[in-house]
Amino acid sequence: MLRVWLILLALAGLASAQVQVRISGWGGTDIAIVNGLLKEVVQPKLDREGIRVVYQPIEGDYTQWLFNALSAGTAPDLFYVDIFWSESLFASGRVEPLDGYFSKQELAEFLPNLIQAFTYKGKVYGIPKDFNTLALQFNKDLFDEAGVRYPNQQDTWETFEAKLQQVQSKLKDVAGLCVVADFARFGAFAFATGWKPFDAKGHTVLDENFRRAFEWYTGLPRRGAARFAQDLGEGWTGGCFGGEKAATAIEGAWIAGFLRDKAPNMRYSTTFLPLDPVTKRRGNFIYTVSWSMNAASRNKPAAAKVLKALTSPEAQQWVLERGLAIPSRRALANNPYFQRPGKEPELNRVVFQGSGPQGGNVYPFKFLAYGGDWMRPINDALLAVMTGQKGVDQALRDAQAALDRLTGRR
Amino acid sequence: MRIKARTLEALYALLLLLPFLFSLGVFFLYAFLRAVYFSFTDYNLFSPPRWVGLANYWALFQEPSFLLALKHTLLYSLVVTSLQTFFALILAIALNRPLRGITFFRTVYYLPSVISTAAASLLLLWLFQRTGLVNQALSLLFSHLPHLAGFALLFLGLQGALVLWERRRGRRTPFLDPGLAAVSLLGAFLGTSAFQAWGLLQAREVRVDIPWLPTRASFLGLPYPLWAIVLMNTYTTIPTFMVLFLAGLKGIPRTLYEAAALDGATPWIMFSRITVPLLRPVLFLVITLGLIGTLQLFDQVLFVGGSGGAPLESTITLAYYVYGNVFPSGATPRVGLASAAALVLAGLTLVIVLLQRRFGVGERGWS
Repeated sequence: MLRVWLILLALAGLASAQVQVRISGWGGTDIAIVNGLLKEVVQPKLDREGIRVVYQPIEGDYTQWLFNALSAGTAPDLFYVDIFWSESLFASGRVEPLDGYFSKQELAEFLPNLIQAFTYKGKVYGIPKDFNTLALQFNKDLFDEAGVRYPNQQDTWETFEAKLQQVQSKLKDVAGLCVVADFARFGAFAFATGWKPFDAKGHTVLDENFRRAFEWYTGLPRRGAARFAQDLGEGWTGGCFGGEKAATAIEGAWIAGFLRDKAPNMRYSTTFLPLDPVTKRRGNFIYTVSWSMNAASRNKPAAAKVLKALTSPEAQQWVLERGLAIPSRRALANNPYFQRPGKEPELNRVVFQGSGPQGGNVYPFKFLAYGGDWMRPINDALLAVMTGQKGVDQALRDAQAALDRLTGRR
Repeated sequence: MRIKARTLEALYALLLLLPFLFSLGVFFLYAFLRAVYFSFTDYNLFSPPRWVGLANYWALFQEPSFLLALKHTLLYSLVVTSLQTFFALILAIALNRPLRGITFFRTVYYLPSVISTAAASLLLLWLFQRTGLVNQALSLLFSHLPHLAGFALLFLGLQGALVLWERRRGRRTPFLDPGLAAVSLLGAFLGTSAFQAWGLLQAREVRVDIPWLPTRASFLGLPYPLWAIVLMNTYTTIPTFMVLFLAGLKGIPRTLYEAAALDGATPWIMFSRITVPLLRPVLFLVITLGLIGTLQLFDQVLFVGGSGGAPLESTITLAYYVYGNVFPSGATPRVGLASAAALVLAGLTLVIVLLQRRFGVGERGWS
């Protein structure tokens, strides 16, 4: 009897020695990825340290849930932070700076653009778990059918547009590209001109460079090179591409999973976005998500260990090899996976390289703490011009006035 | 000690009311008082609330998007409440007749109210896309205008001739005599088809290309996307109110109509002097529920603005404004401002319902 009691006591002791770290992210396909990652890579490593990871994926509006949980003091120890709303969250003081847990050397192992994206007032608040940039996908069959040369990385806006026009005129029911009234796509072209979202004073000025990109992009449907996505019954360029309603798409690596389901046999290829004919540069966005730590966590040292395991080279290799996401470590640039033949490794390679010098003028997808409020005037202007409700002058004047009100320029 | 029967009864009542009182206290009273407090602070979910007095209310009435939301909400509420009350009443009267298979029709007309707002919004998006059914139907209509005009002219001509002929023969025939109209309709149809075959009538090439959703254009002060929501919401709420009216109509004694008929009252007199006055309690209920429901329009706006790509300025309502400020996309929550807006919405709802009761249809009579 005594022996049984002793064993039970020992087990209870073991259980109490184990530290629990709660982690959360969004639901959907991420659940399978994180569960697999935890089971195969992360948890075996942490078992030795007596750390148990409890994973709580959130379905529904994740941002809303996180902001509420942080406010109510019930947030998990580690959680996803999307670059888009990162600044307003970091400014709240509810996220732990990570400089104390990661050495400079450790941070330098990640792509500098990404670390920079999660740096706020000189401190690092998140370790990028993965990222995405924009790339140009094109349907080889449709280009072949139209007898038009494939888009390539030497293309400028003009040569690219000429190819789109040819495809659209040869294949009557296929658009060259389907354009969306969204800064999340158009912005890459504005960046190519050298335009920046904010000047030194934090104001937004829609200057001549911006106008040049704006006129080119919104004029594509009128010049017979593209169609407005909503006119094709789609909300994003990938939707048009997957349904073979458009010959090209401007999306990130997330399109791979969609195409795998929607058009598994499509022969597509990927290249970089076209160059601005004037500056001879391209532009791009970095969309990224970090693992960040709750400033009110009771298990910070353990949470830091979990964070390191989640973003370790082994973890990222695991994710990369399954074609699930683009890893954020520099060392993975030369990974053999990227050199494998096939449309998906190629897509992932172009997206990975899009964050570096080949991407041109690259900015993270965040707009100080203004978020969607900042993009709205520009999106409205894009929509008004593309649907023929306003001229370029009027649309840009209205957008500038709204941005001035928002950023306090006047 | 013996408890009196009355006390015991009161205790039981209280016990049964307790769960409801608890949820009312926690989710309404407490939340309401917190919202009142937050509306006077700059609370943002994270830093402790700081008292700012009336600054939020002042800021609200300075903000163009709030004023726009206010205008949209008031207009929308007025339009939808009028439309749904009117059509629900008409439908209820139509379905209150002793017809064969009336239960089937009642069921069919009730069906739209079973649709969830998410599904209805999706339907709305499909209908009102630039290449959607509404634009296609309009294109078809406009391209066949010559046919329609020809058909109408032929019908009028034939019907006129037939009625004249009947009257010549000494019969007092009204112009829209159903029997003659059926013959004229058939004749007009055959005539139009013949003209089409001879090439005298030709369809024109018309393509209606109205961007109903991604637009800021407006009609009678309401933007197009909101008109689309008006249509959809009226369509889905009419059935519920129709059922209420039907219940009300069942309560009106048949003898009143019989007496009126004996006195030679026309259907219109019966409707305006018997039906409507006796339906007053139901009318009051329907209008009040309609006003409260429409003033809180939210989910359709979220769907149409999100998936439909309608610009915020074209769809924003007060309830959406509140939500958009508590959870702004990518920005710090503005809970203080949102609480102030929520209280304005609550106050507005109360005032409008009281005004309706005072100057519109009351429970007991026309005020």
